[in-house]
Amino acid sequence: MRVYESEVPGVGRKFELELTGGTSVVVVVHHDGRCELFRRDGPDADGEKILDLKGEQANRLGSILEGAYFESVDVDSLSVPLGEAIIEWVEVGTGSPVAGETLESSEIRTETGTSIIAIQRGEETVSNPDADTELEPGDLLVAVGTREEQAELAALVEGSA
Amino acid sequence: MAAETALLEVGAMFAAIGAVGFLAGRLDLSPIPFYILVGIALNESVLGAVGLPAVSNGEFVQVGAELGIVFLLFFLGLEFNLDRLLADRTRIGTAGVIDLVVNFGVGLGVGWLLFGSLLPALLIAGVVYISSSAIITKSLLDLGWIANPESSPLLGVLVFEDLVVAVYLAVVTALVAGGGDVGAAARAIGIAFAFILFLLAIVAAGTALFERLLDTPSSEYFILRAVGVTVLLAGAALAVGVSEAVAAFFVGMAFSATEYVHDLETALSSIRDVFAAVFFFWIGLVTDPFVVVGAADVILLLVVLTAPAKLLSGFYGGRAYALNDRRSLRVGLAMVTRGEFSLIIAAVALSGAGSTLPVETAETIYAAAVGYVLVMSALGTTLMGASGRFERFLPS
Repeated sequence: MRVYESEVPGVGRKFELELTGGTSVVVVVHHDGRCELFRRDGPDADGEKILDLKGEQANRLGSILEGAYFESVDVDSLSVPLGEAIIEWVEVGTGSPVAGETLESSEIRTETGTSIIAIQRGEETVSNPDADTELEPGDLLVAVGTREEQAELAALVEGSA
Repeated sequence: MAAETALLEVGAMFAAIGAVGFLAGRLDLSPIPFYILVGIALNESVLGAVGLPAVSNGEFVQVGAELGIVFLLFFLGLEFNLDRLLADRTRIGTAGVIDLVVNFGVGLGVGWLLFGSLLPALLIAGVVYISSSAIITKSLLDLGWIANPESSPLLGVLVFEDLVVAVYLAVVTALVAGGGDVGAAARAIGIAFAFILFLLAIVAAGTALFERLLDTPSSEYFILRAVGVTVLLAGAALAVGVSEAVAAFFVGMAFSATEYVHDLETALSSIRDVFAAVFFFWIGLVTDPFVVVGAADVILLLVVLTAPAKLLSGFYGGRAYALNDRRSLRVGLAMVTRGEFSLIIAAVALSGAGSTLPVETAETIYAAAVGYVLVMSALGTTLMGASGRFERFLPS
């Protein structure tokens, strides 16, 4: 992937990013931070302006594209300190081995180390489900655990463990 | 002029500039011709002629206009990219030389035909050679051409022209200010180049000095130091008979080597905008519209000869970049626009009235340049906007 960078005197800098199929994206960053985005569909095509962003909007978009932007999680509402752990969502498919099992009999906690802190079932949310809660196909399990534990959980729920 | 009316006049000037700037924004046009026209409207020959209080060509407006020239050229130097010129020297060189030879040549020929001597011919050649970086770049952004391949030769040739105009202004200012005979002219050019060498030495050796100078957390001290150095050196240049514009260009280049380029652009662009507008206003203020109308034949001749010349040189400039016919045509259409630098040359011509230039010749060149810029800035942007219609005539 090649990026061409050049000065536009009196305006700012221009970046050209070649995408696949001859398409390219041209970004003009003005001295005042304003940012214009153009798309060109081929070497002979004219640039078509897609976006005209103010400095702050451009920075926000940039951080989203970079994967660095996220809405902050309301950590205060969680009673357990997370430490290394992260929260993930796993869906119970129709053919999942845990469907029809209770939380206890599914051995999710003993097998994977993750804790199910909530189950999203259609419109309804079962928070703090107890050991007897039966898992149904279509349930969305909200689990706390380390990255490795989350991977094991996903494998268990999918049935490939 | 009493002090209390001086402030009122300056206020009227800025209010008028602000008002036509708003109008230009609404009409989506370059404000430069509007500033000139409002200057003409408020001057002694128009508003004064019907008995209304006109804005006089006072000291503040004159110095403000000079500051406008200084900051326009300072920014040119600040954003002048010698590396870009060198990195792409074959293509920029080819397109730039075609542009220079064709348009400067046409200007020189017409100027010689009209006035029969070298200095007026050189001034006319300068006026018709320099395309307007400010208006062309704005149009490139407005039309979205900035994202297209035609922007490369356009910006490249503009950089080439900037360098030529710096040298040209040094020579022509020296010639206009230097007295009549060849010896005096040679001496004046000698001083000009000595001063340029001095400034180049500052550019080459002074980066660390400039870095230290600008190294302050206070935005107030930062802007004051930058303005102080720039205006002082430009003023010193003018005092020894060298173009203040050229000095400002090299001071800008010296600052462009520091890490503060971006901060300077941000901090000083509003000062440049204010005083550049005063410069264009002043151009209008000292323009007698009846003289411009009187020079209509010269203006018409210049437009008819130089618009096709730029179109042609621009087209072959685009070809030097291996662009197809359609895009090369666009390069030609865009280059037609003339503007701020032609007016700076017009101001130089006026400064020689009665000394190195006969008063009538100087006034004709000045009036022709103002009328020419008004026509060409409108014509250039119109041609760019209507490029689709021209592209249809190309053989497919």
